[in-house]
Amino acid sequence: MTGEVIAFFVLAIVAIMGGMLLLHLSNVVHMVVALVFTFLAIAGIFITLSAEFVAAVQVLIYSGAVTIIMLFGIMLTRHDDVSEKKQIKSSTLLAAGGVGAFFLLMFFAINGMSVSEPATNLHVDNTKRIGELLYTNYLIPFELISVLLLAALIGAIILAKRDDKQEEKP
Amino acid sequence: MDLTNVYQNNYLVVVIFLLLGILLPVGALTAGRLLRPYKPRKEKYTTYESGIEPFHQSWIQFNVRYYLFALLFVIFDVETVFLYPWAVAYDKLGMFALIEMTVFIVMLAFGLLYAWRKKVLKWI
Repeated sequence: MTGEVIAFFVLAIVAIMGGMLLLHLSNVVHMVVALVFTFLAIAGIFITLSAEFVAAVQVLIYSGAVTIIMLFGIMLTRHDDVSEKKQIKSSTLLAAGGVGAFFLLMFFAINGMSVSEPATNLHVDNTKRIGELLYTNYLIPFELISVLLLAALIGAIILAKRDDKQEEKP
Repeated sequence: MDLTNVYQNNYLVVVIFLLLGILLPVGALTAGRLLRPYKPRKEKYTTYESGIEPFHQSWIQFNVRYYLFALLFVIFDVETVFLYPWAVAYDKLGMFALIEMTVFIVMLAFGLLYAWRKKVLKWI
C-alpha cells in the first residue's frame, strides 16, 4: 500500500465522517463544524491529485466563506430547538435500498473502468496553466462570472433593504 | 511518474506540521488536567464568577444586516480567487488580460458602490 492510498483513505474517511456527523448531530452549529471537516478533507484529496490551486480555493471559498454564510444563515433563523430523533419508517428502508443499489452500481462501474496512462506532470506550474487557459480560451465565462456575482450582490441588497423599510413603517 | 511522487512526498512535511499542531494543544491541555488541583464548586462554574448571572443562550437571532456582510465577504473572496491565477500567469498574458481583469474588478466595484449608496456598509 502506497502513501498516496493511505492518504486518500484517511481523507475519505474524514470526509464521510463529517457528512455522517452533519446528518446525525442535533445542534445546527455543530453540524456546520462537521461540514468544515468534510470540506477540509476534500481539499486534502485535491492535493493528493496535484490540484493545489483547487485545494486552496476549496479552503478559501468553501471552508471559509461558504461556512460563514451558512452560519449567518443559521443565525438569522430560530435555531435554539434541537431536532428530534426519528423512528425508522418505510421511507428510511426505501432510502437504504436506494443507497445499496447506488453502491453496487458505482462499485461495478468503477471496477470495470479502464484508466489510461496517468498524467505525470500535473504539479508543474498548475496555477500558471490555469491562469493562461482562463484568460485566453475561457474569457467569456470569466466575464460572465463577474455579472453573476454582481447580480447576487445587488439582489441580496434589494431583498434585505426591502425588509428594513417594512420594519420602519408600522 | 517519479517526479510526481517526489513532489507529493514533500507534503509529508505538511502532514507532520499538521499532526504537531493537533498534538501540541491536546498534550498541553492533558498535562494541565493531570497537574492542576481539582476542587469544583458551584460558583466556579458560572460564566462570570463575580458578575451578573448570565441568562438565555448566546446564540440569538441575528439581524439581516450581518448576513449582507457575510455575502459581501463571499463575493469578494471569489474575486480574490480569480486574481491569483491572473497574477501568476501575468507575464504570459499581457495587456489584453489586464483590460479583462480591470473590467472584472470595475464590475464588482459597481456592486460595492451600490452597497455603499444603499448604506449597507454602515455599521449600527
